[in-house]
Amino acid sequence: MTDTQTDSRSETGALNFAATLARSFAASLNVDATVGQALASIIQLLETEAGSLFLLDEAGQMLVCRASVGPVKIDGLAVPVGQGIVGRAVAEDQLVVVENAYEDKNFFKAADERTGFVTRSILCAPMRVGDKLIGAVQVLNKRSGHPFDGLAGKDANMLQVMANAAALAISNARLADQLLEQERIKRELELASEIQRSLLPPEDDDLPICGINRPIREVSGDFYDYFELPDGTIAFALGDVSGKGMNAALLMAKTASLFRCLGKTIRDPARLLSILNREICETTSRGMFVTMVAGLYEPSTGMLRYANAGHLPPLIKFPDHLYETVAPDAPPLGIIRDMHFVDHEINLKGGLFVAFSDGLTEFRYGDEELGVDGLNLLLEYAHDGPLRQRLELVLAELDQGGWEAKDDLTILAIDDRAAGKAWQREHATLMATPTEGDFLFGLSFPADPSRLKFMRPALEAAARACQFADDEIQDLLLAAGEAIENIMIHAYGGQAKGEITLAVHRLPDGIMLRLRDFAPRVDTGKIEPRPLDEVRPGGLGTHFIRAIMDDASFIPLPDGEGNLLELVKRRRAAPESPSDTASAMAGETDSKGGN
Amino acid sequence: MSVANIKEQQGKIVIALEGEIDLENAGEVRKALLTNLKQKKDLLIDLSAVTYIDSSGIASLVEGLQVARKQKNELSLVAVSPRALRVLELARLDKVFAIHTDVAAALAARP
Repeated sequence: MTDTQTDSRSETGALNFAATLARSFAASLNVDATVGQALASIIQLLETEAGSLFLLDEAGQMLVCRASVGPVKIDGLAVPVGQGIVGRAVAEDQLVVVENAYEDKNFFKAADERTGFVTRSILCAPMRVGDKLIGAVQVLNKRSGHPFDGLAGKDANMLQVMANAAALAISNARLADQLLEQERIKRELELASEIQRSLLPPEDDDLPICGINRPIREVSGDFYDYFELPDGTIAFALGDVSGKGMNAALLMAKTASLFRCLGKTIRDPARLLSILNREICETTSRGMFVTMVAGLYEPSTGMLRYANAGHLPPLIKFPDHLYETVAPDAPPLGIIRDMHFVDHEINLKGGLFVAFSDGLTEFRYGDEELGVDGLNLLLEYAHDGPLRQRLELVLAELDQGGWEAKDDLTILAIDDRAAGKAWQREHATLMATPTEGDFLFGLSFPADPSRLKFMRPALEAAARACQFADDEIQDLLLAAGEAIENIMIHAYGGQAKGEITLAVHRLPDGIMLRLRDFAPRVDTGKIEPRPLDEVRPGGLGTHFIRAIMDDASFIPLPDGEGNLLELVKRRRAAPESPSDTASAMAGETDSKGGN
Repeated sequence: MSVANIKEQQGKIVIALEGEIDLENAGEVRKALLTNLKQKKDLLIDLSAVTYIDSSGIASLVEGLQVARKQKNELSLVAVSPRALRVLELARLDKVFAIHTDVAAALAARP
């Protein structure tokens, strides 16, 4: 009867215990709480005075007490595997029953001596999950005063079952903890990634520039940025930080922030890169560097000025050919402190400027690498529609075609088609033969006074070809110079930037100059000459033009396409050259004489 | 080079300009004139080697003249090249500036 009662009690207990563990597992994903609850349940079920639960450390060498119940707390106590009762249970991977502790050579008496607790009998079971030992649980002194029954007894049997149930719960809790930690890291990476995305410029489909950045992991070592300056110029940059992961991402954030800050005041890409370089050299850990292209684009003229620090040369895609810009002429940022960078200037003339990180051209399909040629084909394929759509199409083609990204990927493109249309129209205007005369030459130069001296010799030669007298030629150079200076000062606001084109046509009785700028429309009323008695600097130029040229008029252009000034000078209406007449007559005389 | 030489002769400062003077370097001319006028001495501007001058160069000369007059100094032009004279005439300033054939004549002239 007694045996049956014990059996039924222990079965109910075991069920209760399993239920308790399940509850505790659901309620808490914490290892410490699970350990405490498991031990408490075991002690309650086996009706013992004390108990403790030990877990193996990571190295599998030491058993550390993670929970203890009874008059003496031994939490934190570490026992080498193989020593003491607990150590023996783990080392031998089997239950240990000690009927009289003080007679067992393995028993560690020191604890009892220190605490006054008298250990009589001990039951200890290893805890195992599958084949893996994770620790041991021991219980001391049955409350009934009896020793634990032997290895085949019910106590031992019950403890081993409980120990393995507890081991499973603890193992689950540990997995849960790991998941939690992974979740925390993932959340932090997501935050970092979000901050990085916030460093990229907001999408603005009104601008002729667009970029896409696709990190290979959560965070990126690539970046791009662009913003519009008050005069409509667009500053842009694309960079690639060496390495991947968090340190690359942090250097990326720093470089991008510096660019955004400096780019608003420094209107010279080469100088901007040299300042960035110094800053990165001073404060960045060795071995990290940034390749970068930075530049300025004027949508009104198509002019692009950029500098390249060790980055892949950007491409310019024209309708009929691909232009690969020159290889970088300076090393990446962050390597040599005092570096000189070089500005390059090019007119996009309606083309598509594409800067990219190597993650794009290193897209792989098996052993095949996309390369510049592959990129060119894709750009050709995606030639239609809004810029963002075109870039997305390029990436979609790669993804759907089974190409695989190997690195962070960034592409930044400037579509000059809008400005290019104006440029082509202008070019047609310039080249079109006027109703009379023929086109001699055309020049295109920045609105920088230092370029005036290049214009004069060419115009002088053209004027000579149009048979103007020396003093007329000098006057013509003055008038043309004044007209160009007016454009520099009035149309472009003296910024030494913007593009000016000069087209020179020969007329039957003189010369015609067409000067084109791409600045906002000039209020012609503003550049009327000043009265000459008002002797003060300025205002003279327009007077010179009027005094020298026979005709000076603005040819209306559609709004937003700049200004076109036509200047005409006719040769002095001189009587027929007496010397010409004389020699002609002389020739006639000679031939007559010969007869 | 727009400002070729600056020297002092008999208490007057002689500034020789040369080459092409346009918007690119007219500022240098202006600066040379205004800096030297701070010495409160008369200026003689030698234009013999000027091959081109435009309204911005002329404007610098005019500004120098205005400052000189304000501080009761003379600013005269000497040995004006035909090209520079043509531009002064176009600007109707050939009667506004005192113009001498050379430095010696300018030094001999008494206002």
